[in-house]
Formats: sequence, structure tokens, C-alpha cells
Amino acid sequence: MSGRPLISRTAMPGLGLSAGITLFMLTLVVFLPIGALLWQGAVFGPAAVWDTINRERVWAALWLSFRLSFLAACFNLIFGVILAWVLVRYRFPGRRIVDAAVDLPFALPTAVAGIALTALYAPNGVLGSMAGDLGWRIAYTQWGIWLALVFVGLPFVTRTVQPVIEEIETEVEEASATLGASRWHTLRHVIAPMLMPAALTGFALSLARAVGEYGSVIFIAGNIPLRTEIAPLLIVIQLEEYNYGAAAAIGLAMLGISFSMLLAINLIQIWSRRRIGHV
Amino acid sequence: MFIRPAILSLLLLASAAHAQDLLNVSYDPTRELYRDVNQAFAAHWQAQGHDAPTIETSHGGSGAQARSVIDGLNAQVVTLALASDIDQIAAAGKLPADWQSRLPHNSSPYTSTIVFLVRDGNPKGIQDWGDLTAEGVEVITPNPKTSGGARWNYLAAWAWAQKNGHDPAEFVGQIFANVPVLDTGARGSTTTFAQRGIGDVLLAWENEAYLALAELGEDQFDIVVPSLSILAEPPVALVDGNIADDAQRDLASAYLDYLYTPEGQALAFKHYYRAWDASAADPADVARFPKLELVTIDDLGGWAKLQPQHFGDGGIFDQIYVAK
Repeated sequence: MSGRPLISRTAMPGLGLSAGITLFMLTLVVFLPIGALLWQGAVFGPAAVWDTINRERVWAALWLSFRLSFLAACFNLIFGVILAWVLVRYRFPGRRIVDAAVDLPFALPTAVAGIALTALYAPNGVLGSMAGDLGWRIAYTQWGIWLALVFVGLPFVTRTVQPVIEEIETEVEEASATLGASRWHTLRHVIAPMLMPAALTGFALSLARAVGEYGSVIFIAGNIPLRTEIAPLLIVIQLEEYNYGAAAAIGLAMLGISFSMLLAINLIQIWSRRRIGHV
Repeated sequence: MFIRPAILSLLLLASAAHAQDLLNVSYDPTRELYRDVNQAFAAHWQAQGHDAPTIETSHGGSGAQARSVIDGLNAQVVTLALASDIDQIAAAGKLPADWQSRLPHNSSPYTSTIVFLVRDGNPKGIQDWGDLTAEGVEVITPNPKTSGGARWNYLAAWAWAQKNGHDPAEFVGQIFANVPVLDTGARGSTTTFAQRGIGDVLLAWENEAYLALAELGEDQFDIVVPSLSILAEPPVALVDGNIADDAQRDLASAYLDYLYTPEGQALAFKHYYRAWDASAADPADVARFPKLELVTIDDLGGWAKLQPQHFGDGGIFDQIYVAK
């Protein structure tokens, strides 16, 4: 009959069909918009793109966005793993509610989150006034931006690490302990390597989300050029001025930097997987 | 059993299809005004023997709203904060370039100006533009790059500096050095000032300032009227390119004309706008507007020149920040 092998390795439709659908959808949803951005940049011209990016104010905004996104993702990496660990390993009253609450930053419109955070952390807000008594200012400073980015990125780490922790048998830790390892040693040499790839994925997702975040940040940022102005706001400003080319240029810069950061994280992931020889 | 609801829904569909509808794309602080205008106009239109019209109004930042219309939002009527935003829609070919001369008063049925909102008792003693550059005074204004209202703030300060012998760019730069939060729109700035307690003075549309007093309490804020301000003319226009048929054109023109009738003008006064015809307005609404010297946008050179010079990419506003 046909040249199809008698034993198929998968129950799903063949490579041709599934790859075709995948590529088609991916093109529609991802490649076309990014292509449009590249096209807009190409129309604008490489020299004009560079002139737009190569300004003190744009550099300041890009540096601010990426630095704070990185710092927020670092916090989420540590706190998200701890949160996932607590949710999987311990039973306590209200655990299910906490577990469900982790996803709330996803469900909330980001502008609502931004306004809520600002109301809390503004100098006359509940937490902001407490911080003010200690001489700290949170809203309308870079701390405020960082806080908003932590808020929108936290679920990524927790949700990617959680299933991996569920997979780790407590026997592994017990075995390690029986063989005389200290708790710290078990954590460092047994648990951490197993969590590493998933945690890095969560880190990358949290970072990517933070870089592009707009709605929640503009309310708490203060938006002062060179100090608290994020790169996505600069793009919106260019759009308000009907400068589609300049908006695309800043978008391209963000895309390029994000892509190299995500690539670096991917390489670290591959390296850590090889080292552990696991998953 | 099923026939009656079916017939009813068919009738509803049919009437929906026949009812005339209109989309008015407007900017942020006109929500309350157009809620009243739409209701009053619908009654007025029906009283002339027409079917009840469906009038919808969309609000947002003026520039973003203009962009939606350029990109295809099917608005038959636009009522925006700046003539230059409607100019952009005209540049996209949706209405003729001379649209602003089609209706009286530069197509602005109501006007406003920029005033100061200060905290109760005016603790920092702010009386005029010159006080805004003082050390330790925090000024709240939205970002002129994203907010139409903020461009009026900026130009009013500019006009005052010109008149009082200051270097305008330096003076406006000093004001912006005192701005701790640049919101993207006028409402955001009002919230920052009134609800978050940030800043000593809010540069606001006069109508927003009165609204803030009415909504948030007269015991909390005072309005300070500077010696000179700008005549802000938020214009309205019919978007020819989005008109489906003659019936819709009649409805849209009648809607815009209604804004100029004594009833429409009375509503503008009621919502703290300065309008032209006070004949049907409540005298109390008219009396609250103090007289002050108002420069017009044409005195300063007109939007076509001012927009790129001040707010365009690399324009004077950008230089104010990079110069530091």
C-alpha cells in the first residue's frame, strides 16, 4: 500500500499535517506581527533606526527597563521557587486559596494592578505612608517600577517550578540525608540541580513579561524622562506623535536585546542540563 | 410558544437596523458632558419627528483616539482636545483639510483654559505662573508628548514667560524640573494630585479643576486663576469618510449643530466649559468663570508650526529634558 511505516511512533497525525498547522498558526500569531515590526523598521531605514535609538533619553529608558526587569526576575526566581516549594511540600490551612491566588496577576488587567499598587504605595497609601515614616519613597521611584514588575512576573516562576517539585520524591532527600549529607548540601547538590532548568524557564518568562510591561508600570513609575521613564512608554509616546518609524525603531531595539538575553538564558539551560545529565 | 419571542426579536433586529446610529470619538475629560449631550440631543432629534437615534461616545487620550479613527474606527463625529489631532485624521483623507472653518468659532462649540488647582488654603501661596518655578514647589501635569491637555499647559506657561520677559524655553524647563510625576493623561494627573496627595499644584483644564472640586470636595482644594492663560479650543468635526448615507450625514450634522444651540451651550456651561451663548444657561454656571487674559493658539503661531517645533521628535520639549 502506501509507504507509511506499519508502526507509527505516535498516535497523533503525521509530521506533515501537525508541522503545517503549527507553522501556519505560529506565522499568523507570532511571525507576522514581528515581521511587520521589522518591515516598519526597514522602511524607516537602518540609519534612522540608529539615530532614534542613539539618544540619551532612549538609552536611559532601555537601560532602566532591562535592568529593573532583570532585578525583578531575579527576585521572582528566588521567591517563586520558595513559594512553589511551600505550596507543594507543606499542608496548611488556606493552602488552596494561596495556590489559586498565585495566578491572580495573570487575570487582573495590568492597569488595574498598577492603580492598586500605586494606591497602596503612594505616600498617602497604607504601605507607602509606613515606608514614608522610615524615610523611603516607593511609588514614583524605580522601586515602584520594580515592584510592579515583580507583581506581574511572579506566577511564571512558581507555575513552571511547581510540577517539577511535585515530581521530586521525598525519598531522594531522605537518601541524601541517610548518606550523611547536611540539609544545605542536599539542597545545593540534589534539589537545586533538578529545579534549575524549570526555574530558568520561569526566570526567562518573568523577564520577558517585565520588559514589555506597560499598563501596570506607568501608574506607579512617575514617568520622568531619564529617571523613571520605561522604554515601552517611549514607544507609546512615538505613536502618540504619529512617528510609526521611530516607535518601530525602539521596538526593534527592545526585541534585539530581549532576544539576546533569552538566547543567553537558553544556553545556560542547555549547559545546566548537560551538566546534570537529567531531563 | 416560540413564535412570539421570535417575532419580537425580529422586530427588535429590524428596528435596530433602521434606527440611526452615530459614534462620537472624544477625549478623556468630556465623559460627563457628552453623557448629557447625547441624552438631550436624542430627545431633541425625536421631537423633530425622527426615530430614536443610538449615539455612542468613546473616550480616551486625544492622540490615541485620533489614531483609532485613522486606523479605521468608524466614527462619524470626532470631538477632540486639539485641532492638530483632527488635522492628522484629515491628512489620512477622512475629511477635508479646511474642516476647521466649517463650523463657527474655529469649530469649537465650547472652550476652556488652563488654571491651577492648589491644596486648601493655598499653603505655598501660588498665584501665577512665576511661582511654579520656586524651589520646593511640586507641579503636577501630564506629559505633553502623550496628552493634549498637557500641551495647552505647556503653551500657557510659554505665553506667560514671553509676556513677562523670561526666556520661555528656560522658564518652561524650570517648571518641568519641578514635576515629580508625569502621567500620560489629564485624568491620571488629577488622580495623582487629588487622590495620591502628590504635588502642590495641578495644572488642569478649568473644567477638570471644577469637576475635581465638585467630586472631591471644595474643602480640600482651591482654584487659582493665573494672570494669563491660553484659550483652549477643543474642536469638533464631522468625519466625511465615515458617513454611510445621507440620513446619517443629517444626523451627524444635527448633532454637531446642537452643540451650538442655546440648549447645547447651556450643557457646556453646566459642565464647566466656557461656551459662547449664555442665553439658555443657568446664570450661576456662567458667573463662576473669572475674566482673565487669554492668548489664542494663533497668537503663538498656530498648531501647524507649534506641534513639530515644541512636541515633535527632538523638539523643544525633548530638549528640556536632555539638556540637564
